[in-house]
Amino acid sequence: MRLLASVLLAAYTLVASMAPAHAHRLRVFATVENGAVSGYAYFVGGARAQGATVLFRDGAGRTLHRDATDAQGVFRWTPPKPQTIRITVDAGEGHAATITLGAERFSGADDFNPGEAAARVADAAEPDGAELTDDVLAHIEKHVEAAVARQVRPLLEAYEAAEARLRFNDIVGGVGMIVGVAGAAMWAAARRKTKGTEA
Amino acid sequence: MAHIPDGVLSFPVLVTGAVVAVGAVAVGLRRLDEQQIPRVAILAAAFFALSLFSIPIGPSGVHLMLGGMMGLILGLSVFPAVAAALLLQAVMFGFGGLTSLGVNIVNIALPAAIVGGALAPAVARATPARAAFLGGAGAAVSALGTGLMVSASLYLSSSDFAASSRFVAFSYAPLIIVEALVTGFCVSFVKRVKPELLAARAKRLTI
Repeated sequence: MRLLASVLLAAYTLVASMAPAHAHRLRVFATVENGAVSGYAYFVGGARAQGATVLFRDGAGRTLHRDATDAQGVFRWTPPKPQTIRITVDAGEGHAATITLGAERFSGADDFNPGEAAARVADAAEPDGAELTDDVLAHIEKHVEAAVARQVRPLLEAYEAAEARLRFNDIVGGVGMIVGVAGAAMWAAARRKTKGTEA
Repeated sequence: MAHIPDGVLSFPVLVTGAVVAVGAVAVGLRRLDEQQIPRVAILAAAFFALSLFSIPIGPSGVHLMLGGMMGLILGLSVFPAVAAALLLQAVMFGFGGLTSLGVNIVNIALPAAIVGGALAPAVARATPARAAFLGGAGAAVSALGTGLMVSASLYLSSSDFAASSRFVAFSYAPLIIVEALVTGFCVSFVKRVKPELLAARAKRLTI
């Protein structure tokens, strides 16, 4: 049994040194669209976390806003200015998960009128030599950012789902590891017994 | 439910859990008969795989723990079985933290070991039907015990969790029912097909 204990200890130190620190059973997905933070909290396996407390904090840890998830586990909030936002969802029972959205995910926060911007772009692109002003360029950039955010969101969600998925291979691997440790223990026990009869 | 992640519990709770878990696993391994190694491994593997899958019931979802089942068949060896399975779940899937591993082991295995120790002699003597009832009741008590211990761990760590502690007790109700049904069915099956699995422990206890 001492051998089994040392095998377990060795396995523990080995895996502990490479353990991912970010994964939990409760997970949060969040993304930025037009300066607004939106996302959802869910338990691995599919169930959404309903009515869970959602804390929006800045990079220094100050609480900016407090909310709760709805029946679909969804939350949404628009921060007053572009900055790093840390979202912590606490579903109770000690289930908590945090996600950080860097300040670079947010663009400027003022109002944006696509029609007006398009008109101004069209004006600016007239062949009479008028140049694209910084103002117009900024509007174009914002419009592109919004479009990209809309297109990329399904990808981000799919990636999140893929990362949280319980892989059959991993489960079988875990079962195999248990069987292997048991086999090692039985081998050690059998060897000790053989030695005992020889002595 | 019983997978408490890192960064939730306070230091004294974590240390207490770790110390109790290390001691109990050591005792469980010392008491472990060589012939029992396969059944410990099989139940550890079953617990490892089953408790990964949560069924969306209630506000969060529950997963089976098989505490009563493991306690009845393994006795004190439930500690190494649960420890191995939870360690793998933590490092492979991030289910439950590594610092809170000790607390999680004790929360699941201690009620299971107590229930198993108390009921094993009666189950060994009982008819399959009666054994199923006893097993189901034991599983319910074991699951309830785990729920109470999770609540207590959270409560002792911070009063912020007082509200969610009550919430735990509430959301354990569906788990307790499912757990009792599954364990009752399994115990009755084992009792019919391989009764010595349940009898061997009782013999060892009476010596």
